[in-house]
Amino acid sequence: MIISVNWLKKFTAIDMPIDELTERIGARLVEIEGVEDLGEKYKDVLVVKVVECRKVEDTDHLNLTKIDDGGVAKDVERDENGLIQVVCGAPNVHEGMLAAWLPPASTVPETVGTTEPFVLAAKELRGYKSNGMLASAKELDLYDDHSGIIEVDKDAAPGAHFAELYELNDYLLDIENKSLTHRPDAFGIVGFAREIAGIQGAQFDTPAWLNELTPKVSGEGEAPKVVIDDPTLSDRFAAVVLTNANEAAQSPLEMQTYLARSGVRPINAIVDITNYLMLLTGQPLHAYDYDKFLKVSGGVNEVHVRAARAGETLTLLDGRSIEMDSEDMVIAAGETAVGLAGAMGGADTEIDSSTKRILLEAATFDLYTLRAIQMRHGVFTEAITRLTKGVPAALSAPVLAEATRLLAEHAGATVASPIVDDYPGKKDAAIVAVTVEMVNDVLGTDFSADDIVTVLGAVELEVKQKDGQLQVMVPYWRHDLSIPEDVIEEVGRLSGFDSITPTLAQRDFTAVRSSEFDVVRRRLRNVLVRAGANEVLTYSFVHGDMMRKVGQNPEEAYRLVNSISPELQYYRQSLTPSLLSSVHANIKQGFDHFALFELNKFHTKRHELLEEKVPRELDSLAFILTRSTSAEGAMFYEAKQYLEYIAASFGVSFVYEPLDADSDYPVTQPFEVKRSARVWSSDKTVAVGVIGEYKRGVQKAFKLPEYSAGFEIAPVSIAKLAAANDSAYQPLSKYPGVERDVCFQVADDVSYQAVYEATKQAAAGIAVEVTIEPLDLYQPEDKQTKNITLRLRFVSHKKTLTGEEVSQFMDSITKAVTAETHGKVI
Amino acid sequence: MPTDDITATRQTLLDRVESSDTPRDVLRAPELKKLYGAIGSLPAEERGAYGKSVNELKVALEAAIQAREAVLDSASIEPIDVTAPWDLNSTRPALLPTTQGTQHPLTKELDEVIDIFTRMGFAAIESRQIDDDFHMFEALNFPENHPARDGYDTFRTEEGFIPPAHTSTMQHRILKDGKETLEKGGHIAAISYGRVFRNEDVDATHEHTFYQVEGVFVSKDATLGDMLGTLRSFFEVYYGQSLKIKTQPGYFPFVEPGLEFAIEKPAALGGKPGEWLEMLGCGMIHPNVLRTAGIDPSEYRGFAWGGGIERLVMLKYGIEDLRHFEAAKLNFLRKFA
Repeated sequence: MIISVNWLKKFTAIDMPIDELTERIGARLVEIEGVEDLGEKYKDVLVVKVVECRKVEDTDHLNLTKIDDGGVAKDVERDENGLIQVVCGAPNVHEGMLAAWLPPASTVPETVGTTEPFVLAAKELRGYKSNGMLASAKELDLYDDHSGIIEVDKDAAPGAHFAELYELNDYLLDIENKSLTHRPDAFGIVGFAREIAGIQGAQFDTPAWLNELTPKVSGEGEAPKVVIDDPTLSDRFAAVVLTNANEAAQSPLEMQTYLARSGVRPINAIVDITNYLMLLTGQPLHAYDYDKFLKVSGGVNEVHVRAARAGETLTLLDGRSIEMDSEDMVIAAGETAVGLAGAMGGADTEIDSSTKRILLEAATFDLYTLRAIQMRHGVFTEAITRLTKGVPAALSAPVLAEATRLLAEHAGATVASPIVDDYPGKKDAAIVAVTVEMVNDVLGTDFSADDIVTVLGAVELEVKQKDGQLQVMVPYWRHDLSIPEDVIEEVGRLSGFDSITPTLAQRDFTAVRSSEFDVVRRRLRNVLVRAGANEVLTYSFVHGDMMRKVGQNPEEAYRLVNSISPELQYYRQSLTPSLLSSVHANIKQGFDHFALFELNKFHTKRHELLEEKVPRELDSLAFILTRSTSAEGAMFYEAKQYLEYIAASFGVSFVYEPLDADSDYPVTQPFEVKRSARVWSSDKTVAVGVIGEYKRGVQKAFKLPEYSAGFEIAPVSIAKLAAANDSAYQPLSKYPGVERDVCFQVADDVSYQAVYEATKQAAAGIAVEVTIEPLDLYQPEDKQTKNITLRLRFVSHKKTLTGEEVSQFMDSITKAVTAETHGKVI
Repeated sequence: MPTDDITATRQTLLDRVESSDTPRDVLRAPELKKLYGAIGSLPAEERGAYGKSVNELKVALEAAIQAREAVLDSASIEPIDVTAPWDLNSTRPALLPTTQGTQHPLTKELDEVIDIFTRMGFAAIESRQIDDDFHMFEALNFPENHPARDGYDTFRTEEGFIPPAHTSTMQHRILKDGKETLEKGGHIAAISYGRVFRNEDVDATHEHTFYQVEGVFVSKDATLGDMLGTLRSFFEVYYGQSLKIKTQPGYFPFVEPGLEFAIEKPAALGGKPGEWLEMLGCGMIHPNVLRTAGIDPSEYRGFAWGGGIERLVMLKYGIEDLRHFEAAKLNFLRKFA
């Protein structure tokens, strides 16, 4: 929204410089996105009188004029009478008129501030010297009309400054609308000016006509009966009939310039006055051709506000034909819709040159219904913008009354009816009770009752006070004030929140503790970073194709109905696919051996909703390790080093079990069954996740290097295991330990785990501390058998072990292991 | 009859797929080309049906090829002993060098922010990534169709769930959970942090996915002055210097009064006096929000605030493009060792 500072000044004094004003507005009212200094554009424009005007021979449109600038312009060629010659092509130039003249060496206002400012000169046109130019609205950058030059309609002496005459030494404030969503009053100049007074601590007085809520408007003639069929749709619909309005009449140039400054194009007096009043008060008006209205209604002299009927159609003023449903709201002439309420009038009742009688509407509508209409039909006019903020119903009558006055003055119209209305939403003036103590308690301030009364009084919030009890009378334009907090905000805001002293809350010394889960997650991140991996964050939404590529079913994923693109349509069902799709680009950048991981959440429809009826969120840690150069062994084991490093860091241990070929968990889908494992806690009570190499199809689809593997695990499982881990410390022994290596030869299908577990079992029966470490894994070429070499370390806390004792231990262990695994010691 | 040709060819080709080690080659078989070639020589009225049959054959072949490829793939894949610590006939693989590891700059910053607030006495709770209308809007005093909802550009799922557009989606939960403490004479002090989403086209300064931190404080006697003091204190610790603050009225349905909060640009960021950085939105919690959570607004008051994390990170390092954060590019990530 654009606000003219000069327009504000018509209602309240503004003495501070523009910088200070904008800063004050920013701190106490609303954000200003930009300020335009209009005066700069018009500094050279002069009002001149066209003293002589005659056609230039042999041309169809050029006129040779002599103008009187009161002798103000410097360095310009004059005739013996001091007049200046200008050639003008405008059809409306005529002798005796006052016009706006751009002298030579001045810049055409339209081009000020553009990349190509156009500086005028004295030049020859058809053999005649033309000094500068007489300007059109377009050249003056007022609005887009180049059909003729501006005719100055005020009494002014030749040589007067155009900008002064029309108050164009102005600043335009570009206001950020969003934070005024709840303030329909501030969408009018009067309301905005009231705030400007308030934040300067000056008393504001609303123009009397706006406080005349039951204005006397009388006319002799018929008026329609107004019926709001459903009072939830509109609090009030008011109208008045005028006759003899001259459609061709133009509004005063000053009004036109104020409209133009606010971004509204002047059309003719009737339209301009409705727009002018809307900008001034926030109350939109709409004019119907009353005779057309009666024709459409079939002579039924009733205007209705009602819900549209399913399938009902309407041709709008902009030429569009729309089909409506019961969510829409219309203005109807009798039975027939003639306007989309609050949004746009219909073509059938449009004002044109044949219009004799006007039916002028001022109404307020249910803003939620309007919002829906706005979205459904794409209407974003100045009027609907204001109506969706909730225009107060009381405003209709005073604005209609003022409209009749202005239309009489500028368009020759006569009032032909009283103001008629239906007003089901009439409310008593609200009173908000608040105490001085509450105001100070909430803000942390020290205002007296009188301070508060003064601050609120400036914006016409009348306050009755008694012993610290305040009764705030809410004027009709402030429906946003209904609870004490609303009033407290006004006190803080108008007097400046920045004048409140920052303090710190009183509280006890209880320390807060991060949740176990947060601690574990942070540690997991650190462990992986320490192990050379790079943390990534990828989008929570993925393409359906990405799921299909890894074998996940998009039907099981939450789907967005308004996604930006198919790339971001589904909630992901595991994190691994996002990591897989991050590999190729990095390989192309020349990274050949790296690990990526992400700690994030995924969602799938497989799980029941939580008690509060929202989907379960699954925290996950996905990791991928990839290299474009060959690895010594299978990549599975390189990834496993990372998982084992995590286990060691948390003092827990995992067991690995081949992946079930029938597993249909979304998380396991990318993994190749023959080269992947489910990961469990060592007692197999807690499922940790999955680790492995990827399916060949997945490798291809994501252009992965051959050597890639990874895992996806649940950090919550790690947290659970870490919490249960009692990691009892064993005191160091005073006696030396003894190491022995042993190599078991077992059949190819005997797992390492089987040998290790058998060893551990056997060692458990020995009365000293035994630790077991893998040393070497060998398989001969025939692949029938494999050799598993373990290193065992024996430590006694009681004595130094003898070689003989250790040999006995080894014997008992190897016997048990070979029996268990059908292997032999070699 | 051309249709008979199709039937015959179909069996031939399917058999060939079954026995081939390179089944995809079958798609280039001359028999198939011949079938396609025959279309032109058919009477116009037969072409449609014939073409359809040929296409069906192609679809069947594609399915058979995929199945065969899966079998071939699987057959050529050697199973491994997943329980072993490393591969047979090789040595224990090494981890990557520590110097190569990096934490993501956003999680790093989030850690720092959380750390300051926890030291100030605020519990930290992660925000949800999928939520419902009640928590995202209704409980925060945004009735259905409220115009202020427009500003949030939310996504929605088929079921009507919402990827939250602000971490305030946790506020109702925080208030409800803290009610008991409050009534025992304590206070509620918590932050919620995490990922939020807005339906926005992406460019250097706009993202549909970003991170926020929300704070909530409720007690018997919290004031707006306390809110300003708390926020200033946070930023002073964060930037390690004393700072000037200023505010601007803001409208958020869940606070009353509502403010936008700015700090004078810190010296560490090359700031000069008079340069301001808008940091977050804040305000006194609206009584309706407290009431919805079962907290009596005539007994208790509170303040809340919420701001973005990306902005802090971008200012700190001078990052030029918001899109780097979720792009998983090592070139970018390794700058934050």
